[in-house]
Amino acid sequence: MDWLIDPFQAEFVRTGALAAAAVGVISGVVGCYVILRGMALMSDSLAHGVLPGVAIAFALTAGASGSDPDQTAIWFGALAAGLFTAGATNFVLRRSQVREETAAAVVFVFMLALGVAIVSRVQGYSVDLTSFLFGDVLGVSSGDATLSVVLAIAIIALVVLLYRPFLLLSFDPQRAAALGLPTERLHLAMLVLITLAVVIGFRVVGALLVLGLLIAPPATAALLTKRLPAMMALSAAIAAASAPLGLILSWNLDLAAGASIVLVAVSGFVLALALPAARRAS
Amino acid sequence: MQRLTPTGQPAIAAQDLTVRYGREPALDQVSFEIPPSSTVALLGPNGAGKTTLFRAAIGLVRASSGSIRLVSRRIAFVPQRLDIEPSFPVTVTDVVRMGRYGDLGWVGRFGDRDRQLVSTALRELGIEHLADRRFGDLSGGERQRTLLAQASAQDADVFLLDEPFAGLDAPTHAALRRLLASWRERGRTVLVATHDLESARRDYDLVLCLNRRMIAFGPPATTFTEEVVSETFAGHILRVGSLLVDTAHHHHGAG
Repeated sequence: MDWLIDPFQAEFVRTGALAAAAVGVISGVVGCYVILRGMALMSDSLAHGVLPGVAIAFALTAGASGSDPDQTAIWFGALAAGLFTAGATNFVLRRSQVREETAAAVVFVFMLALGVAIVSRVQGYSVDLTSFLFGDVLGVSSGDATLSVVLAIAIIALVVLLYRPFLLLSFDPQRAAALGLPTERLHLAMLVLITLAVVIGFRVVGALLVLGLLIAPPATAALLTKRLPAMMALSAAIAAASAPLGLILSWNLDLAAGASIVLVAVSGFVLALALPAARRAS
Repeated sequence: MQRLTPTGQPAIAAQDLTVRYGREPALDQVSFEIPPSSTVALLGPNGAGKTTLFRAAIGLVRASSGSIRLVSRRIAFVPQRLDIEPSFPVTVTDVVRMGRYGDLGWVGRFGDRDRQLVSTALRELGIEHLADRRFGDLSGGERQRTLLAQASAQDADVFLLDEPFAGLDAPTHAALRRLLASWRERGRTVLVATHDLESARRDYDLVLCLNRRMIAFGPPATTFTEEVVSETFAGHILRVGSLLVDTAHHHHGAG
C-alpha cells in the first residue's frame, strides 16, 4: 500500500492535493450550471481569456532582475481579464445578432492573441507560460491552498443562496422573467461565478485543462442523478476525489500532475457511462 | 377570492405598444385595456405578434415605443414551447414547486399553503403518479401537464398562455379547459393565445384580434364579425356553415 501513501508524505503534495480538491469542489458545483446552460465554450473562452491579465501582472511584478512575480497580482490580473472576457462577450451579444458561440470565440481569440503578444514582449515568461497552460499543482503555496478552501466555502454559500433564481434561469429564462427575476443580472452573476471557478482552477490544472474539471464531473453526475442538489453534491465529490487520486497516479507513473487529475475526472465519466443507472429509457 | 386589483385599474394595459426586431415592427401601435378578472382570447395568424405581446408583457423584450403595463407582478407565463435538455436534473415535483418561487423569494421556506398548492396542482393535472419522475423522461403531454401544474401552483393574478392548446393530447386538453374554467371562476385575469375561433367565441369574455396591429378588441358577440376575422387572418378563413375555420392553421397541421 506504500504507493497509496508515499505521495502524501511530502508536504507540497499534501498542500497541492488540498488546493486541487478545493478547486474540484468549486468547479464541480459551478460546472453543473455550465453544462445545464450549454456554456462550455463560454467557459473555455474565459479560461483562455485570462492570459493577457496574467501576462501584464507578470510583466509589472517580475522585475528585470528575474525575481519571482507576485502571485496575488497574477490572481487579480487573471480575474480582471476573465471578467473583461465575460463582459466583452456579453456586449457583443447584446449589440448584434451573432450566436453566443460566435461572440465567445471572437473575444476568446482576441484575448489569446493579445496575451501571446504581451508575453512576446516580456522576458522570462516562457517558463511560466507552461505553468499557465498546464498548471502547477505542486507549486501551490499553503497560503494559496487556504485561500482556495475559503473561496470554495464562499462559492458554495453563494450557490445555496442563489439556488432558486439560478434553477429558474437554467430551466426556463422566460418563466424566470415572468416571475420578476432580473434574468440579465443573474446571467452576469453566473458568468462571474464561472470566471471565479476558472481563475481559481487554472493555477492548479492550467488554462487548457480547467475545462475538464468544469465539465467532466458534472456530466458524470448528470448521468447518475435526477435532482440538482444531488447532481451538485456528487459532482463536487467526484471532482474533489479526482485530486488525490490524480496525484497518486502522477507520483507513481511520473505523469504531469494537473493532467493526471483531469484524466481521473474524465475516467469517472467513462465508468459512469457503463453503469445501468446512466441508461435512460427514451 | 378576489385579488389585489384596485378597482377601475385595467389588469393589462397597452398604450401605442410598438416592438421592432430590426426594422420590421412585430407589433405596431397596439392599444387596449383588459379589465381585471376577465378571460381574453388572443387571436391572430402565425407571425401576428402574439408571442411578442407576451414577451413585452413580462419584460423580455423592450417596447420600441409606447408601453404595456400589468397591474400585478404576480404573473404566470406558459410559453409555447420549452426545449429542455432531457438530462436536466429536476423531478416533476421540483418543476411544480418552482411555481411557488415567485411568492417565496430566494430563500423563503415552503409553508403549508405552498405545499398544498403544489399537491393540488399535481392532482388537478392528474400527474401525482409522476411526482418523482425526472421531467426529461416524460412524454410530451406529461411535460405540458407538468408545466400547467407549475402555473396553477403559482396561483398568480394574471395568467398568460401562449398557444397552450397546440398539439395537446386529449387528457391534457381536458385538464387545461378545467384549469381555465377554475381561474375564471376565481376571478383571475387570463390571456390565452389560440387558433380555435369556436372556443374563442364560446369560452372567453373578450377577444383580442391581432395582426401586427390591433384589428379588434371586445366581447366575442359584437367583435367577431366576418370582416374582423378575415382581416385578422388575412384571407386564411373558410366559412363552413355557421363555423369560421382557420384554414391556414389546419394546413399547417394541428399545431
